[in-house]
Amino acid sequence: MLACLCTVLWHLPAVPALNRTGDPGPGPSIQKTYDLTRYLEHQLRSLAGTYLNYLGPPFNEPDFNPPRLGAETLPRATVDLEVWRSLNDRLRLTQNYEAYSHLLCYLRGLNRQAATAELRRSLAHFCTSLQGLLGSIAGVMAALGYPLPQPLPGTEPTWTPGPAHSDFLQKMDDFWLLKELQTWLWRSAKDFNRLKKKMQPPAAAVTLHLEAHGF
Amino acid sequence: MALFAVFQTTFLLALLSLRTYESEVLSEPLPLTPESLKVSVNSTCQCLHLQWTVHSLAYHQELKMVFQIQISRFKTSNVIWVENYSTTVKRNQVLHWSWESELPLECAAHFIRMRSMVDDARIPKPGFWSNWSSWEEADAQNMLGHDPLFVFPKDKLVEEGSNVTICYVSRIHQDNISCYLEGVQIYGEQLDRSVSAFELKNVSFIREKGTNVFCKVDQGGVLGGIVLFVSKVLEEPKDFSCETQDLKTLTCTWDPGSDTGLTKQPSQSYTLFESFSGKKTLCKHRNWCDWQVAQDSQETFNFTLLAENYLRKRSVSILFNLTQRVHPMTPYNLLPKNVGATKATMTWKVHSIGNNSTLLCQLELLAEGKVIQQSNVSIKVNGEYLLSELEPDTEYVARVRCAYTNHFWKWSELISQKFNTAEAAPSEAPDVWRNLKLVSGHPTPLSKVHANGKILFYNVIVENLDKPSRFEVLSIPAPASSTELTLDQCSYQIHVTAHNSVGPSPASVIVVSGDPGNEEVEKGRVNGTEDGFSVSWKPQSGDATGYVVEWCDGPQDLPCVLQWKNLGPNTTSTVIRSGAFRPGVRYNFRIYGISTRRMAHLLEKKAGYLEELAPSDNPQVVMSKLTSRSFTLSWKDYSTESQPGFIQGYHVYLKPKAGEQCHPAFEKTVLPEDSVCCKYTIDNPEQKTFVVENLQPESVYEFIVTPYTSVGEGPLDAFTKVTTLDEYSHTLIHIILPMIFCILIVMIICYLKSQWLKEKCYPDSPNPYKSSVLSLIKSKENPHLTIMYVNDCVPDAIEVINKPEGSKIQFLGTRKSPTETEFTKPAYLYLLPTEKNYSGPGPCICFENFTYNQAASDFASCGHFPVTPQAPRHQLGPLTSPENLLKALEQNYMNSLGEIPAGEANLNYVSQLASPTSGDKDSLPTNPPEPALCSEYKMQTAIPLGLASAPPSENSSLSSTTLLGQGEHCR
Repeated sequence: MLACLCTVLWHLPAVPALNRTGDPGPGPSIQKTYDLTRYLEHQLRSLAGTYLNYLGPPFNEPDFNPPRLGAETLPRATVDLEVWRSLNDRLRLTQNYEAYSHLLCYLRGLNRQAATAELRRSLAHFCTSLQGLLGSIAGVMAALGYPLPQPLPGTEPTWTPGPAHSDFLQKMDDFWLLKELQTWLWRSAKDFNRLKKKMQPPAAAVTLHLEAHGF
Repeated sequence: MALFAVFQTTFLLALLSLRTYESEVLSEPLPLTPESLKVSVNSTCQCLHLQWTVHSLAYHQELKMVFQIQISRFKTSNVIWVENYSTTVKRNQVLHWSWESELPLECAAHFIRMRSMVDDARIPKPGFWSNWSSWEEADAQNMLGHDPLFVFPKDKLVEEGSNVTICYVSRIHQDNISCYLEGVQIYGEQLDRSVSAFELKNVSFIREKGTNVFCKVDQGGVLGGIVLFVSKVLEEPKDFSCETQDLKTLTCTWDPGSDTGLTKQPSQSYTLFESFSGKKTLCKHRNWCDWQVAQDSQETFNFTLLAENYLRKRSVSILFNLTQRVHPMTPYNLLPKNVGATKATMTWKVHSIGNNSTLLCQLELLAEGKVIQQSNVSIKVNGEYLLSELEPDTEYVARVRCAYTNHFWKWSELISQKFNTAEAAPSEAPDVWRNLKLVSGHPTPLSKVHANGKILFYNVIVENLDKPSRFEVLSIPAPASSTELTLDQCSYQIHVTAHNSVGPSPASVIVVSGDPGNEEVEKGRVNGTEDGFSVSWKPQSGDATGYVVEWCDGPQDLPCVLQWKNLGPNTTSTVIRSGAFRPGVRYNFRIYGISTRRMAHLLEKKAGYLEELAPSDNPQVVMSKLTSRSFTLSWKDYSTESQPGFIQGYHVYLKPKAGEQCHPAFEKTVLPEDSVCCKYTIDNPEQKTFVVENLQPESVYEFIVTPYTSVGEGPLDAFTKVTTLDEYSHTLIHIILPMIFCILIVMIICYLKSQWLKEKCYPDSPNPYKSSVLSLIKSKENPHLTIMYVNDCVPDAIEVINKPEGSKIQFLGTRKSPTETEFTKPAYLYLLPTEKNYSGPGPCICFENFTYNQAASDFASCGHFPVTPQAPRHQLGPLTSPENLLKALEQNYMNSLGEIPAGEANLNYVSQLASPTSGDKDSLPTNPPEPALCSEYKMQTAIPLGLASAPPSENSSLSSTTLLGQGEHCR
């Protein structure tokens, strides 16, 4: 029986169905998107520290959790677990794409308001990376045959630092922007990880039925 | 009377009525009451803005009026502000007045009312206030939204150092609201049930993004806050000035100072305003601004620079004439032209200023970084200047700057140009001197040349003066500055010329005499100063054409770097300067007189120090001739020449023993470590020995010898100890030394004769043949006596004699202690091979006292004899082998010889005088026990067979039997 098992294992690589060649499919681009998400997570950690120090206390305090007063327009990353599980791939990717489109716009507004050149440089660098993530998601969607979401007229996110919006509320918005961005990146990592697993080549394992007839 | 009373009553009534009328007229409100009072709130500036009119004025009437304004907070009765506002009022004119509140207006309702009064000189009897207007309420809280918590003022911009009042309005009416300034809790005053105020004093700038103030309901998640923008105080521009380069454009510059850079407030702006023309321009840069001069030939300008931000304005002004502020542009195209050995022409150009303006240009010539020439040239566009008195083959830097001639304001920037003059033939003869080596006779000429170009080589012509026809020409390539010539005893004249690319220099001539000359010259000293050595000498009578002072730059122990100085014939002194001179180094100077034949004669020798120092080392002193009362010190190897100063003598310090006084020749002195010492001064530097006398015998003294110069003496750190001898020690030495010598001789003799002594006194083993006793016996007593060899003896029995008084008998026979029993049991050894099961007493070798019966040897069955208890226990085991047995017995025998005195032993050994004819000799067992093995034998006298006539007697048998029976040692 052991010899039989060894023989089967020895011939596994020779099974044609298990050796996929040719078009790699969306797998590599999903992997790249996942890697980019993790990289942006890391990058944002440093940027958020710098920016929140720039805002000053209490925004840079670790336990600061202000009410979400003026940040209602920001796309929420938090979602019920069951809802998240029930999302299909297209919806999942669409939500990611839309969220980062909005967040990127807000982030560019943040960059325009920054007073120090170094901070502007860091924000611009992050915006570029985020733009790359957006393109990467678009690439995955195209590979899977999903159309890109078209923004509805009048729903384009705008940066409106108006006088009605006080500076304190503006700082709260900045805080929430960075927080939502962080949560979105975390969620995206999970999304793409799930998608990556789903897109992996099937039947990579052979189930062997072994019976022991009594020794 | 009645009439008077009626009149009085009437008068009083009339007066009363008049007063009543007057009071009615005066108390009537004037028709100038403020009307249409409106109050508005401006949150940006936290201002209450009032506007009203006075309708009651006649047309075209203007009155000066005073309006008294009252402001109450929270309720009308709480008046917090009263102010009189004076202005000229027209009919239906809308009047305005603003009031800035310290407390943010959103935090409290305010009530305002006013009244007026005519304060115009044209109106008689002014001074009556009108009625108050009705209270107007300004409540900004109505404009708030529905949030539970508000903090005010929102996004306020203040200057650093100002005081700010912050307040919050709570709609949840909770007490647990905390407020924080930059994360630090602040405490304020509760103004109302839902309003609290906090006063921040002397606020300072923290960051561009503003200072955060926020309030929150503890554990409620409710939060409100503001950002307070604190700006630095705008600084007045410094160093404001304007100048022109071309009379067409003015450039004004200033130092703007610091900029807060708040996100809430842009950087301060700068505006340039010219009062004569009335023009102004908004500057694009923070620290400079261009102003175009109009074509109307305006000459005088009055500029005001206005710096401005949201909070403050600052200005600074200057008044000047345009032509007095001309700063020409940097000249250009500065070039050398026609550069020769001593001359060069410099040309340059300038930018023209206006029409026919002249510029004053300054041309500077630098050599080795220093300005050596400076010239001023007036030019219009092109400049040119001839530089002369230049040195050939020298690098120069020419630089030019220009200024406006009409009125000097500033020099332009400099323009520089480097150039080299051409070479010329050397103008001076090389400075040549020789270093004459007396031993080998080689002169070495050295040279220092002032060349007008790069010296390529030196020509040295050596002319033999004694043989004029002989010349020798040497060409020495530069940069060598010396050469060595080998000359004989003749006189030579040496010509040295330096050559560059243009030509040779004049020749320098010296003559070297074949005779080294008289070196015995006067020696002197020369004093050094900070400037150097001032050397003087006696003028040479005769035809001296000059003098040369020669010295070495380094210390004496280093290779000489020869230096010399040429001096004129009338000079008898000079100062020798050198950067190489060091304090504490002796420099030797030799002064030569140069004759008309260019021959040098040594005149004087001088030595000196730039600065004398105290000696750093003491001489190595050798102590000798130590006696009980004196010793001698000498330091003959000490060189006075190589010391850091002229040695004037020596100090001999002697530390006497405690309580001892200094010898009169010594001087008592106290050393730096407070110890008393005796000092003797030797004032002759050549005296290098000293005898210390008058000492105490057998005493310890410490001494040191230190040289001294004019500056001081050497270090007093290492005293040498010396102990004077005992007074009688020398006598003892006279006795002990011969004794030691004698003993030594005796010991040597003894050593040489040791073999002889050994044989005589203590032979290695008792050799009866060698014993002198034997010879004595032989010669004197019995000529027949001979030596019995043990090997020849066949032992047959051991007889133990029981001495009645001997403790050994008791030991062997009666004492039976367990220990003894143990020892005695194995003490019977077979001397001869016998049967194992031998049990009964057999025949024994019997040593009879003083007798030996050879017949007894016939008893061959006796094979055992007792071993004495003194035998070492460890020998008992190995004795079973024949060899060990023999050794053990032999040792035992030797011990007995050495330890047991004759007469005390129980067993007496009698030398067995075996018969030489004994036929038993060959029948001895392989390892016969020697008689000596019996430990307590006494010397036995062997008796010849003839004498031993008696057979073994009963006694002897008995003795044997007794031995076996009594001692229980034999089995």
